[in-house]
Amino acid sequence: MKSGPSPFKRLKRHLLASPLDVLITLLVLALFGWITATSLHWLVVDADWRVVSQNMPLYAFGSYPSDQRWRPLLWIALLIGLTLMTLLGPRQGWLRKALPLFWIAMVPFGVVLLAGGIGLLPIPSHAWGGLSLTLLLTACSGVLALPMGILLALGRQTSLFVIQRSCSVYIDVMRAVPLIAVLFFGQLLIPLFLPMHLEVNRVLRAVLAFALFAAAYIAEDVRGGLQAIPRTQHEAAAVLGLSTQQTLLLVVLPQALRTALPALTNQAVGLLQNTSLMAILGLVELLGISRSLLANPDFIGRYLEVYVWLAGVYWLVCTAMALLARHLEHQLSPTTSATAKR
Amino acid sequence: MKRSQKFYLQLGLAVALLIFIGILIYNLWVNLSRTNMLLSFGWLGQPAGFALGEHPLSYKPSDSYAWALCMGWLNSLKVILCGLVAATVLGVLAGAARSSRNALLRALSSGYVALIRQIPLLLQLLFWYFVAFLSLSGTPLAPLGTLIRVSNQGVELLGLHLSVEFSALLVGLSVFTAASIAEVVRGGINSVPRGQWEAFRSLGLPEGLGLRRVVLPQALPAILPGLTSQYLNLAKNSTLAIAVGYADLYAVSDTTITQTGRAIEGFLLLLISFLMLNLLITGGMELLNRIVLRSQQRL
Repeated sequence: MKSGPSPFKRLKRHLLASPLDVLITLLVLALFGWITATSLHWLVVDADWRVVSQNMPLYAFGSYPSDQRWRPLLWIALLIGLTLMTLLGPRQGWLRKALPLFWIAMVPFGVVLLAGGIGLLPIPSHAWGGLSLTLLLTACSGVLALPMGILLALGRQTSLFVIQRSCSVYIDVMRAVPLIAVLFFGQLLIPLFLPMHLEVNRVLRAVLAFALFAAAYIAEDVRGGLQAIPRTQHEAAAVLGLSTQQTLLLVVLPQALRTALPALTNQAVGLLQNTSLMAILGLVELLGISRSLLANPDFIGRYLEVYVWLAGVYWLVCTAMALLARHLEHQLSPTTSATAKR
Repeated sequence: MKRSQKFYLQLGLAVALLIFIGILIYNLWVNLSRTNMLLSFGWLGQPAGFALGEHPLSYKPSDSYAWALCMGWLNSLKVILCGLVAATVLGVLAGAARSSRNALLRALSSGYVALIRQIPLLLQLLFWYFVAFLSLSGTPLAPLGTLIRVSNQGVELLGLHLSVEFSALLVGLSVFTAASIAEVVRGGINSVPRGQWEAFRSLGLPEGLGLRRVVLPQALPAILPGLTSQYLNLAKNSTLAIAVGYADLYAVSDTTITQTGRAIEGFLLLLISFLMLNLLITGGMELLNRIVLRSQQRL
């Protein structure tokens, strides 16, 4: 590697190239200084973290019965463990191969752990809350939305007119409506469209509404991936004598999903952030539980502490998801997997 | 697949789809007739009975639901249009700062984008409302003299009064959307060949002028589609107004539905209003796109 110009010269070129640059540099430095000073002062002097430290179990589990809290705790711990194992674990071996299965199994496992049944004490869904509910909402609706989105994307691409039209209409209408409206009407309307005696609990209704909404967005991302596949891939598959189904499952979809992965990651992160909207509709997920805490006279006016803490938690979870996705992207990219096989 | 096979497959699917929709509608009809709430829009003319925090035209609680919904629509339009302008200005500045020569400015811009995009919008709105605006003192801060005065009663901009709810929503939406617009702008600027930068620099043009007159015009065709979808996102996200108590279209619909119990009709009206808003935005952007393309062809 060639060594660059001296540090002083580099500093001069990057920060002090012209009088205007000097001015901008000084202004930005002043801004950084002001932000650091005020936030440090607030963190050390003004902030009263009792609203966070005294309520840790609430943020994590909501009003889950205290003798049963090991269940959501176990689930969150397993999620963290899986994340670490995926990011830092062995590159080869059976453990690596089993990881995707573990990830998929986490969703039904989480539902069973939280809801109970099969030997566990049943806990009604209105007692679920906090981070565990946020993660559960994200995981369940994501798992439902992905296959729905793929089907919608394929439907929009077929030459069968009826399917193509109905998928297009569904996707376009869903993408035109705001999420909060979908969620609100999901809570109101899903019971109206079902037979009279079929009860659907609120968490499940929210999961359904999220999934129906997210599927439309996922469909467009997958369609982008499908369109990026060159025609020659279809022709090559046809030459090899693969049937339409085989072409789709073995050739087209894997490549399309890999291309769409960055966009799908954004959808997943967006889905997690959007679960906060359920706070408006009365579920006590991470943001909802904080709203009820702030209504408590002991912690009145402690908005900033709570919001900073929540922002930190959301930031951490979103960053972990983005890291996982980048890891997956790296694993799936054709160049790295080709060298790994050699 | 043979042609006839295709036809029967589609016919079968269409019938299945119709049966499915039929079952849903039947259930709906059973549930609605049980509560005596069969579809009608007559209630739109009845007096609404609730007050609105702000309304661009004259409105009183004895006015009809339809008029209240109109006020909500106008309030939505107001915050969306102001938000579009503010988010575009901030987003273009932040996006352009990403390709600045000044390393500190680049760091500031990328830090802003990274922070804002990882935090839920709703949390940010609550922050702007409860922390940034409501905890201000009653005596207005006036950093620029009489030009702008900010207090916990709202913002006074050139003598124009903006309510706290509106200001918090506007700032939150603009700051959030601008972070995404900055990414779109950065992508557009990166799509312009590096040679163009070197060319205007070697002509002796200053950095800012070159960016405005050489790079951005060429980046526009790549920026506009992304910008349109961000504008649509802003319009949809403006419905979070309900969290800060701003009487937008969704908030008014919500109150209306709670009072009348007319969920289906309310949903249909909301859907139509939003399709209209979307058409307004996409139509405007389409026009802009055409103007840009035409002016580029003339060059």
